[in-house]
Amino acid sequence: MSGYDRALSVFSPDGHVFQVEYALEAVKRGTCAVAVKGNEIVVLGCEKKSAMKLQDTRITPSKIGLVDDHICLAFAGLNADARILIDKARLEAQSHRLTVEDPVSIEYITKYVAGVQQRYTQSGGVRPFGISTLIVGFDPGSKEARLYQTEPSGIYSAWKANAIGRSSKTVREFLERNHTDSLDRDGTIELTIKSLLEVVQTGAKNIEIAVMTPGNEVAYLQAEEIEKIVEKINTEKDAEAATRRGGRGGAAGPPSAQGQEQVLAERPAGAE
Amino acid sequence: MSRRYDSRTTIFSPEGRLYQVEYALEAISHAGTALGILANDGIVLAAERKVTSKLLEQDTSAEKLYILNDNMITAVAGMTADANILINYARQAAQQYLLTYNSDIPCEQLVRRLCDLKQGYTQHGGLRPFGVSFIYAGWDNQRQFQLYQSNPSGNYGGWKATSVGANNASAQSLLKQDYNEDCNLKQACELAVKVLSKTMDSTKLSAEKIEFATVGRTKQGKVYHHLWAAEEIDALLKEHGLGKQDSEEQK
Amino acid sequence: MEVLLGITGKDFTIVAASKATMRGPTVLKSSDDKTRPLSKHTLMAYSGEAGDTVQFAEYVQANIQLYSKRNASELSPYEVSSFVRSELAKSLRSRNPYNVNLLLGGFDPITDKPELYWVDYLASSARVPYAAHGYAQYYCLSTLDKHHHPDISFEQGMKILRMCTDELKRRLPIDFKGVLVKVVTKDGIREEPYEDEKPVYAP
Repeated sequence: MSGYDRALSVFSPDGHVFQVEYALEAVKRGTCAVAVKGNEIVVLGCEKKSAMKLQDTRITPSKIGLVDDHICLAFAGLNADARILIDKARLEAQSHRLTVEDPVSIEYITKYVAGVQQRYTQSGGVRPFGISTLIVGFDPGSKEARLYQTEPSGIYSAWKANAIGRSSKTVREFLERNHTDSLDRDGTIELTIKSLLEVVQTGAKNIEIAVMTPGNEVAYLQAEEIEKIVEKINTEKDAEAATRRGGRGGAAGPPSAQGQEQVLAERPAGAE
Repeated sequence: MSRRYDSRTTIFSPEGRLYQVEYALEAISHAGTALGILANDGIVLAAERKVTSKLLEQDTSAEKLYILNDNMITAVAGMTADANILINYARQAAQQYLLTYNSDIPCEQLVRRLCDLKQGYTQHGGLRPFGVSFIYAGWDNQRQFQLYQSNPSGNYGGWKATSVGANNASAQSLLKQDYNEDCNLKQACELAVKVLSKTMDSTKLSAEKIEFATVGRTKQGKVYHHLWAAEEIDALLKEHGLGKQDSEEQK
Repeated sequence: MEVLLGITGKDFTIVAASKATMRGPTVLKSSDDKTRPLSKHTLMAYSGEAGDTVQFAEYVQANIQLYSKRNASELSPYEVSSFVRSELAKSLRSRNPYNVNLLLGGFDPITDKPELYWVDYLASSARVPYAAHGYAQYYCLSTLDKHHHPDISFEQGMKILRMCTDELKRRLPIDFKGVLVKVVTKDGIREEPYEDEKPVYAP
C-alpha cells in the first residue's frame, strides 16, 4: 500500500492526487445525465433509476435541480453530495442577485460550483465531492443556450452537448456523431432521448427530461410525451434496419452490425 | 500504524466507493427491524425491540420510535447513541423553523436537514459517518401524509412502505406482496404486525418486543401522533391472533 | 408623508403605495415603486427611513426567494409575515435597527383566502382586513371602517380605494404624487392601472 491515496490532498510521487481520481470513479458509478444545446433551447436528460413498487415517486428527489429560475443543474455521482453542492449554488445565486441586482450568468455559477469542488480537493480533512455536474441555462437577456460541465477536480468546460456518469463515454461518442449546430426544439429533445437510449435499455419510464428556453421556467416533459418520442425513435430505427436489411440482400455484415440486426429483426415478429 | 485509520475523514476507495459508509450500512443490517407503511388516512411505524427484560420500564424507555415534531415521528435502526444526537438535532431544527415561520416544518425539509448533517459526516474532518437509518412518518399541508427513509450516506427517498434493519430484505418482499395502495390505517397496522411476526427471530410477539406508533389526523383536521402503550399493542396482537399464546404462557 | 394602503376582499388583496420619493419637504421623484414581490403570492410594501426600506425589503426578498428555490415550494403569506416579523425583531434589538414599516399583502393558494399583515418597525405584526401606515391611517381608517366588508368584490375594493385616495388628496398638505396599485390574487401579483391625475379640492 503506497499511502498516497490514504491522506487527502497529497500528491503521489508520480503527480497524482488519488482522491480526486477516485472521486471520478464515484461519478462513473452514478446514473447517466445528458445535456444538449439547440437553437434557443437546451435540454437536460437523466437516467432515472426505476422506481420500485413501494417507492413513493411523488416525494423521491430528482437528479435535476433548479439553481435559479434560469439555471438548471443535473449531476452524476453521490446524491447526498449533490444536494449540498446545489444548495451552495442556490445560495450564491440569490446572494449575487441581492448584491448586484442581476441574476448570475451561467458561467459565473459554473465557476462558483467548480471553485467549491476545487476547494474540497485541496483543503485538509475533507474528501472531494463525488459528483460531476452539467449546468445549463440562458444568461439574463440572452437567447443563446449555455452548457457547462464541472468535475470533482474543479475543472469546468463549455460544451455543445455532453454526458456524465455511467457509460458517459458511449453517449458522448454518440453525441459526437449525431450533434449538429442549431437544432430545433424537437430535434434537441429527440437527440437527448436518443443518446440516453444508448445506455438506458428500459426506455421511457427510466428517462427524465427537462427543457429550458429563454425567459421561461424550466419545463419537465410528461412521461407520456417521452414515451411518444421513444416510440418514434424505435420505429425509425426499425425502418432503417429494414431498409438496410433489404439492401444488403442477406449478405453477412460486420459482426457488430449483425448483432444489432438480430435484435431488431426479432421485433417485428413479436409485434405481429 | 493505528494512526493510519483514526483521525481520518471518510475517503474514496479506488473504485470510487466510500467504505466507511458501506460499513455503517452493514452495522445497520444487524439492528432490529423497523418498518413504515403509508395508508390513505395515516402512517404506521413499527419496530422490533432488541433489549427485552422484565425489569425494563416499558413505557418510558423508547428504543426505536421517537417524536421529532408535532407533525412527524421517526423509527430508528442502528446505533441508538448516534440516533439520539440526530434526533436532538432534528427536534431543534424543527423548533427553530417554528420560531421563524410560525408553522410546522414541511416533512421533506426536516428530512433533508437531517440528511445534510449526515452527509457532512461522510465528507468532513476526521469523523465517522452516523451509523443509523431512519424511517420518517409525517404530514404537512403541501403533500399530506409522507413516508421517508434515510441512511448513513445522507441519501433519502420517499416510500409507500419500507423497512430497515435485520431481515429488511424479507420484510421488503413481504410488504411488496401484501401492500395495498388504498389501505386504511387499520389495515396498515395489521400488515405491520404480520410482517414483523414473520421477520422477527422470536416466534411469538408481545408488547415488550415491539414498538408501535401511528400518525393520523383528527376529525378537525389536526395532525396527531401516537406512540402506542403496551396494552394497545397487546390488543392489536390479540386481534390478529399473533401474541395470544404468548401472553397466556406468561400468566 | 408616505402612504401605504391595503384592502382585502373576497378573493384579492389590494396594496397601494404613494409614488413620491421625498427628502424633507422636497419631492425627488414621482414614479417610485415602494413594493417588492417576495414570492408568487406575497407582496411587500414599505415606508420609513429612506435607505433602510429598500435594503430591508431586498434582504427579505432574497431570503424568501432562496427559500422557494431550495425547497421548491412557496411560503404562505402567514409564514412570510412570521419570517419578516422575526427579522425585524432581531434588527430592533441590534445596534442599528431598521426603521421600516410594512404592509404584506398576499393570497394563500392552499386556504384560498386573501391575507394582509400590518407590520411596523417595532416588529409588531397583525393580520387585518384593511390597513394603512403613516398619516394615511388618520384619513382612511374611518372610511374603511364604514365601507369595508370581508366579501367585497374587486370593483368594490377599488371603489373604496378611490374614496381613500381622494380623501388623502383632499387633506394631506403635501402632494404624494398618487399611488401605485398592485393586486394579489390566486394567479399571482399584477399591477392595476390607476387614474391619479384628477385633482381633488378641500372645501
